[in-house]
Amino acid sequence: MAKQSVVPFGPQHPVLPEPVHLDLVLEDEVVVKAVPSIGFIHRGLEKLVETKDFKEYVYIAERVCGICSFGHGMGYCQCLEDIMHVEIPPRAKYLRTIWMEMSRVHSHLLWLGLLADALGFESLFMQSWRLREKILDMFDATTGGRVIFSVNCVGGVLKDMDDTMLKTIVDTVNDMEKELRPIAEAFLHNYTVGTRLYGLGVLSAEHAQMMGAVGPTARASGVSYDARELGSAAYGDLDFEPIISKEGDSLARCDVRIREIFQSFDLIRQAAAKIPQGPIAVPVKGNPNGEHFLQFEQPRGEAIYYIKANGTRFIDRFRLRTPTTSNIPAMLEMLKGCQLADVALLILTIDPCISCTER
Amino acid sequence: MEQRKRDAKPYPWRAFPFAGTVLKNLFSKPVTTGYPFEPAQYPQRMRGHVEIKIEDCISCGLCARNCPPGALKVDRAAGTWTINRFDCVQCGNCTNVCPKKCLSIVPGYTTPSTQKSSETFTRPKTPDAPAAGKAGGKPENDPAKCVYCTLCAKKCPQGAITVDRAAKSWQLDPDKCVGCGICAASCPKKCLTLK
Repeated sequence: MAKQSVVPFGPQHPVLPEPVHLDLVLEDEVVVKAVPSIGFIHRGLEKLVETKDFKEYVYIAERVCGICSFGHGMGYCQCLEDIMHVEIPPRAKYLRTIWMEMSRVHSHLLWLGLLADALGFESLFMQSWRLREKILDMFDATTGGRVIFSVNCVGGVLKDMDDTMLKTIVDTVNDMEKELRPIAEAFLHNYTVGTRLYGLGVLSAEHAQMMGAVGPTARASGVSYDARELGSAAYGDLDFEPIISKEGDSLARCDVRIREIFQSFDLIRQAAAKIPQGPIAVPVKGNPNGEHFLQFEQPRGEAIYYIKANGTRFIDRFRLRTPTTSNIPAMLEMLKGCQLADVALLILTIDPCISCTER
Repeated sequence: MEQRKRDAKPYPWRAFPFAGTVLKNLFSKPVTTGYPFEPAQYPQRMRGHVEIKIEDCISCGLCARNCPPGALKVDRAAGTWTINRFDCVQCGNCTNVCPKKCLSIVPGYTTPSTQKSSETFTRPKTPDAPAAGKAGGKPENDPAKCVYCTLCAKKCPQGAITVDRAAKSWQLDPDKCVGCGICAASCPKKCLTLK
């Protein structure tokens, strides 16, 4: 057995978009074990719930993350609506679904760009982000913000989309679908990309389940679990199936995310076709009292929201378990046996969001 | 440590799958624009910055109390409304809670600066409207209809109304009241009138 040595990795590293620290135990160039430590960007957003009005906290909940901001606002609102037994109008459910799916496209395209950047494939990175810009422009036109939308409220949504806007969205989505095909081709069938991703960091279905992996990371290993199937918002009315891949390596994780973008395009089209007319919000009276636990599929995987309210306008406890928190143990499993040079790429393949994790 | 192998068949590698895109980009117009020489086009809904119609403001302070980052300050005595644009996150909550709808979010960013400063707006004192903005007037209660549910007192942004259900009393502090009309709007028995 070769001599073991420990190499510190992060929190500052050119490939890491966010700070996470790993102590890598190496035997020559091969990783034997990785010990993570987080806590570099804790902001105490959960604690703020005790001092902010529950309706005002929606704006803070969506600032937990810059990529899944809409999802966090939506998850928080849905949790409160369940506590207060508020049934939101069907149109609001469809609008939330459309924005959520647009967020998923935006998140996955961002990840594809980051992956291409980590591989050193700069033109592919620019091509991915150029496509993502179209989604951001649509967010700007429909909600008024490119990253933080502020359209969720307890009881529905604040902004409506008229028919012209919905048609523009569907047209843009159709254009994007055509433009995404050559990009997907370059990710999945390019020899250069393949040499870096193919067979790298294989996570078996058993390990994925044992380590509690969620989202595309778990689905790429063959675990057919998608929290959207639970039917939150309008997902119960739409036709879709979880996208899975059996391989479990980095290329499979890339493949699953690319196919999920196409699936999201389809869901946006379905929702735009089925959206009913009507009000977009219902007035909410009184203060929440009770507790609730909600599972919700974010672009990166399943997130869990827990709220304990005490009947006043301040909530006792808000707990948010983000997908990255559950994917870190699976990532440590993937790292075992990989080369030191591949560590940065493997960390990226779970699509980590450390800011969400630390809140 | 044993290296795990992927057992499935490899993906079919294709020669130059990105070449078409590269060539297309080479012979097409750039997607970027020449900002700042070419002005940026903002969509109508863009949340750029908060604007106030100060003449309509009644200094109720609801915006300041509901501002998540605490960027707003309202001074009722001086009739001023102050915003720290560097703290404002353009969430739009102030525009949602404003009872007079004198706040709005409009497209376009504010100018950058090297120093953090606040912007103050003062309500003009015009002779024909001495109680500027108080067009709604102060609430008066009709004891015959009132059921002393205390909703008006709970909703009052200034805490100007005191209701005692046991003693069946309804009292208004005229100095605190800003005449926003929220009490009358929330009254289930419609026994409050603004005069």
